[in-house]
Amino acid sequence: MSAMARERRLAEIFVEVADSLVEDFDVIDLLHRLSARCVELLDVSAAGILLADAHGELQIIAASDEHTRLLELLALQHDQGPCVECYRTGAARTNIDLTRGEVTAAWPRFAAQARETGYVITHAIPLRLRNRVVGALNLFQTAPHRLGDDDIALAQALADVATIAVLQQRTLEQSHVENSQLQNALTSRILIEQVKGVLAERWNTSVDEAFAAFRSYARARHLRLSDLAAQIIEGDFDTRTIPAPHVS
Amino acid sequence: MAEVLRSLRLGEGGDPAQACVRALDAAGVALSLLVGADRTAEPLWCHPELSARFEELQFTLGEGPGPEVVRTGSPVLEPDLDRVRPERWPVLLPAARDLGVRGVCGFPLGIGAIRVGVLTVLCGEDRRISEQQFADATALAAALTGVFLNGNGHVNGTVPGPDRMPGWPTGLNRPVVHQATGMISVQLGVSIQEALLRLRAHAYGSERPLGEIAEDVVARRLRFGDELDDDISGPYSPEGGKG
Repeated sequence: MSAMARERRLAEIFVEVADSLVEDFDVIDLLHRLSARCVELLDVSAAGILLADAHGELQIIAASDEHTRLLELLALQHDQGPCVECYRTGAARTNIDLTRGEVTAAWPRFAAQARETGYVITHAIPLRLRNRVVGALNLFQTAPHRLGDDDIALAQALADVATIAVLQQRTLEQSHVENSQLQNALTSRILIEQVKGVLAERWNTSVDEAFAAFRSYARARHLRLSDLAAQIIEGDFDTRTIPAPHVS
Repeated sequence: MAEVLRSLRLGEGGDPAQACVRALDAAGVALSLLVGADRTAEPLWCHPELSARFEELQFTLGEGPGPEVVRTGSPVLEPDLDRVRPERWPVLLPAARDLGVRGVCGFPLGIGAIRVGVLTVLCGEDRRISEQQFADATALAAALTGVFLNGNGHVNGTVPGPDRMPGWPTGLNRPVVHQATGMISVQLGVSIQEALLRLRAHAYGSERPLGEIAEDVVARRLRFGDELDDDISGPYSPEGGKG
């Protein structure tokens, strides 16, 4: 992407995010879109967003694609990986060469699984709220080119947008919104994994296919993923109204 | 907070609610669990008496942080009840004021769609909740979720013994576990909560990590059927043999 095209695309993304924040928005879906934009703008292979839970452990909140393989790789970082280091120190860790054992010695399991998935370089960018770190943006590349300072600055800008999205005040009822928002986002994420399983079993498809169908249905009707997921699990929603994916 | 978690484990200090009140530096703490098919909130323990009365009040009226937490699964933080719009809890607010309750926060016990109960914390004179108190209450709610998902404490008010560590059950950070839970709930036609129990029971019974069993379920190498089976989790493995 040329510098000018990229700048224009970035402006579009900020407008898209600003638009999304106006109403009672779907934080999981927005973060998924942001992850996908990171991949597009930074020319990386995959991106994931992790948030710290009440125990200070990182949990996945969204990824550029919902393939379980990527989700599981991100999930490994509840106890090890570059995002854990980034979260603890508050500093970005960039251009980490996954093929060099001495670089990845602190988190061998993560590095091995990342390499197996085909990634050779990874980056971890902090999600910062004032002087507090609330999570990390994780980028992966299958191609061994380095990200330059401009790319990293752009990644940090996108991470900042993600932080704003997560902590955006949803209702004025809550006086301690920030912490609750983090909690809600983490709960929503688990709910979505549960509904993937429910739908995959009903439709006899993979969880990845089930999620794709679920999300297109929710998006087309402007339903929040977590709301629709909760309704389905409670049995308050007839899932036959969602077009089932074709069994592959 | 570590001390409270330890006291929950050992059943020491008699009253877990009292320990929580001290650790959270709150005016009162109450824990209610959702029981039965209609998920009625049943108080399990409270301290002091004021907490017990408030707990009864909010669940009788169906108004307040507790019922809202049960409905939404999200924390509700109102450390200063004077700042709550009167129409939000029209009957509860004046009654709470009469009791001398100044502020209340409710924290959900649960995992995703699984709702186990609610922890209600009464705030003190200063009508605020600090970041530390929030973090402690959230951690406590998570630890208690773990305890009750292990099937403890729902029969009576006794705290779990030392063999049952309160705390987050291991393996629940993996997406595949929640995906498998959803699949099993459909396979067995049971609630998502029971599905997780069955999954964990199977992992425990077969002495394999929860994540591994979940991977088998999602990859359809393992299916939970309801055929007559001595095994409590009753899974059926298409490759023959069990799990």
